[in-house]
Amino acid sequence: MPGKQLLMTFPVTATSHTLADYVARGGYATLRRVLTQLKPEDVTKEVNASGLLGHGGAAFPAGRKWGVVHLNDNQPHFLCANADEGEPGTFKDRWILENAPHLLLESMLISSFALQVRNAFVYIRGEFDLPYRRLAAAVEEAYTAGWFGEHILGTEFSCDIVVYRGAGSYVCGEASGLLSSLEGKRGYPRNRPPRLTVQGLYKRPTVVNNVETLANITRIIAEGADAYRKVGTAKCPGTQLVSISGHIAKPGVYEVEYGYPMQQFLFDDCGGMLPGQKLKCIVPGGISTKVLTAAEVEPLTFDHQSFAGAGSSLGSGGMIAIAEGTCMVRLLQVMLRFYHHESCGQCTPCREGMGWLHRIIDRIVAGEGQPDDIDSLYRISRLQDGMTICGMGDAAGYATIGILDKYRDEFEYWVANKRSKLAGNLEGTVHA
Amino acid sequence: MPEIFINGQPVQAEAGQTVMQAALANGFYIPYFCWHPELSIAGNCRICTVQVEGRSWVEISCNMPVTEGLHVLTDSDLVREHRKATMQFITLNHPVDCGICDKAGECTLQDYHFAYNGSASVSREPKVHATKFHDLSERILLDNERCILCSRCVRFTREISKSNALGIKNRGDVSLVRAADDSPLDADPYSDNVIDICPVGALLSKPFLHKARVWYLKPTPSICPGCERGCSVNIWHRKAEWHLRALDPAQNTSIARVTPLENPAVNGPWICNKGRDLAQVFERPRADRAMQKGKPVELASALLAARNLIGEAKRVVILVSSWGSNEELAACRDALNGRFATFIKRDHAPLPGERIEDDLLIRPDKNPNTAGARALFGEASLREPAFEPDTDLVLVWGEGCNFATLPAGAKIIFLNSYLQPENGHADVFIPVSVQTERAGTYTNFAGVVSAFEPCFPKQPTVANAQDVFAAFTQDAVARS
Amino acid sequence: MKHLIPEFEKLKARFPAGFESSLVLPCVRRIQEDRGYVADDDIAGLVEYLGVPRIQIEEVLSYYTQFRRKPIGRFHLQACRNVTCSMRSAERLIDHLSQKLGVAPGQTTPDGVFTLSTAECLGSCGTAPVVMVNDTYHENMSIEKLDALLEELKGQG
Repeated sequence: MPGKQLLMTFPVTATSHTLADYVARGGYATLRRVLTQLKPEDVTKEVNASGLLGHGGAAFPAGRKWGVVHLNDNQPHFLCANADEGEPGTFKDRWILENAPHLLLESMLISSFALQVRNAFVYIRGEFDLPYRRLAAAVEEAYTAGWFGEHILGTEFSCDIVVYRGAGSYVCGEASGLLSSLEGKRGYPRNRPPRLTVQGLYKRPTVVNNVETLANITRIIAEGADAYRKVGTAKCPGTQLVSISGHIAKPGVYEVEYGYPMQQFLFDDCGGMLPGQKLKCIVPGGISTKVLTAAEVEPLTFDHQSFAGAGSSLGSGGMIAIAEGTCMVRLLQVMLRFYHHESCGQCTPCREGMGWLHRIIDRIVAGEGQPDDIDSLYRISRLQDGMTICGMGDAAGYATIGILDKYRDEFEYWVANKRSKLAGNLEGTVHA
Repeated sequence: MPEIFINGQPVQAEAGQTVMQAALANGFYIPYFCWHPELSIAGNCRICTVQVEGRSWVEISCNMPVTEGLHVLTDSDLVREHRKATMQFITLNHPVDCGICDKAGECTLQDYHFAYNGSASVSREPKVHATKFHDLSERILLDNERCILCSRCVRFTREISKSNALGIKNRGDVSLVRAADDSPLDADPYSDNVIDICPVGALLSKPFLHKARVWYLKPTPSICPGCERGCSVNIWHRKAEWHLRALDPAQNTSIARVTPLENPAVNGPWICNKGRDLAQVFERPRADRAMQKGKPVELASALLAARNLIGEAKRVVILVSSWGSNEELAACRDALNGRFATFIKRDHAPLPGERIEDDLLIRPDKNPNTAGARALFGEASLREPAFEPDTDLVLVWGEGCNFATLPAGAKIIFLNSYLQPENGHADVFIPVSVQTERAGTYTNFAGVVSAFEPCFPKQPTVANAQDVFAAFTQDAVARS
Repeated sequence: MKHLIPEFEKLKARFPAGFESSLVLPCVRRIQEDRGYVADDDIAGLVEYLGVPRIQIEEVLSYYTQFRRKPIGRFHLQACRNVTCSMRSAERLIDHLSQKLGVAPGQTTPDGVFTLSTAECLGSCGTAPVVMVNDTYHENMSIEKLDALLEELKGQG
């Protein structure tokens, strides 16, 4: 187990996701206490004190986001859990939706109470099958048990929830693209200002939080901010769910306490590489973070400061372990193909730039690359960075520049020799 | 009133303004494609970026609120670098169609290319192709390759004309502006405004397609006579120095196109499609010979004959044209009113299927100067014409009179511009000029007086109604 | 789609007032579930029911990858080809499927049974490679498992 656990604290069984099992674990007791004994300000104060960071990729303190919403301002507020989980390599929110949906629901009820939200939403990517069915079933159970609806527990607090299914668009994982989709339109992200907490869903104050961020709320309120701060590091309190995949022996979802040593995580908890394979590099937190070589990863601890210091980021918690023998040119090609497919097309640099990047790398892979194509990849990435409506421009930039910085030799080899240095292999080589 | 600094200079901005608005209002130019003063902020073209002093990045100015003490640079090296990059992105897949594109000469993309880029493309990829010459509606052609997806046209149909006719389908660099499947753009009477606001040559007028290069044309300020709103328009026709040496003189005296002339007091920057089709009004076959009972006569003879009829008549009724200018109507009143019963004729009625009224521009009275006529002739003259039994002379000025309703025995003096059978039945027929052949003013329904200027010379055998009425004064009649 | 309106009314009741526009995605999904795709008169019916502009529905149908305006095969095989799945043999699987079915990605077999597509990341990287069959995730796939799956589906067809 990679450090203290706050969420993955129960064995997953055939029924552990049900209301009955959740209640047996103490579920909904915190909500009961909140509704009958606390005020909204009490909850927000605790969330602030805990230092809870966003777990969707931006690591923005949740309490600070909540703080922008003015209570008693005579207008509806909305809360939306971001369950779009589209960042390649990421599948950790899925664990919560499949195995602890009631934890999310209880947390959302507590959060709705704090933010004076009458209508809450979970925006879940349209492709998700079991996670959606488990969540939808949990919502029905919760309604039947009276945890949603009018005057919950006979208090003033009423709350309804809708599970809203997406339909296949990566940018709907971006908070403003998500809300555009939730309004029944294309998932077009929006310029800021205004912030979504000022004008979000149908121009009302809206808080969009990642599923995992919200899932932590119940425990923070149950045990207090101080207890939460005892886990993790001073700057990075708590834990993060990490979904690890790739050429790793034991892929899956792990809960990692912030500050936990990376070597231990990769080679003990996750069982190291597949038989006969050696670690070449990792994608730390979804493909929109810069790759780190095995040597760079070795001294790191799992927290935002350590990874930022190494020039990368923890991102969305989607870690991919890449073995020696994997062709990084082909890998970048797969990534750029993805970004090109997912660009919403709204703003100039992304709409034109993603296609441009993709066509350049396709041409390199086809053996028609020129030496200055590598500089073009850099230049286009840099010109997209910070220039787009949403973070997609930056994301493709990190993916491209990250791989080019560390593995430029593979690109130069392909341009010069019209073929891959590593036979175009994506499955890694097996060492005897 | 926040004070901001643009390129080091203090600027008094207004609370709630964006940096773009404050800059433009104070003489600083910031380029823009997708921004439009009448539409919501899209912020997608990214060409309007500025640099806040002290920051190492640029941000769009169309969505940046002014704050007290904000220092921005609109032309720093960083801004120039990003502007050039944005131009390279926008023109990455843009076809070099300038040689065959109607927008050349009034194209924002062309202008900005020379101002902010000026280099050849740095891409070696073949351009992405899309639909060329797509029938967006009966009036509008769309070239998706030229389109830069600024969404101005979409926002116009959503926010201004409210037809919701246009949208963007697909996504990424295969996005396409499209109308909804049931072609609602045909039913949108404001559709052609999207042609004006398109910053490139993607949306083109089919009636104007390939007619003339815009630099050969001159815009003359005028007023649309299609309804009592009296929208300000520009009527475009060939410049004198660019007259074609062609066999048909009509080439040089025809209306090439009509576009809005921005007028905050009347129509803002928009007009409806009826105004675009003024050639169909003014270029109908013209009456160019005076006649008496169908027999061609000299203009002077016709005027003399008309004066005699007026002098001899016992009871005269005058039907004045609501297309008469204020100056013509005043001449008519000075000459004839007070002596004779006068009624204001609504020359044009709404056509079948024509929108009667809305809360944007279109007004129910489809004539340009009923208000001007009312101001001169009084409220009573708006009634249906009533003919006393002994009416023996009717002076009809302009179109729209049903001659069957006139008293059977009465003589008729008819002033008209267009060829119609009634011209030949009138006792005296005098051909008169149209709006595009003279200067004048109209008064719109709200009392705003606007002026129009002449575009073309009139024929010598055609009279100006103002001169005709001057010839009918009591003195003139007495003298004849 | 008129027979679905009673269901839509129940769905509408879960949303706050004024959220008609939001109903577009769930209604379109339900119509597609019912018919297999969204037909032109479904769009007209939905416009009437929700009171949203027709162009909004057409935009939504063309923007999202999961919506379609034409029917496809009985079994929609969507094979992820994103990063981890490709690292775990997805490209070989897709080639194998294509050869076995005799169609390229994006096409439907002549008998109308299988449609083959590639997909981007499905959020199942830990059990890569992943293939969706209609709504169901089939995880930890291999060529052998795919062959067995195809046999099973043909049996159902």
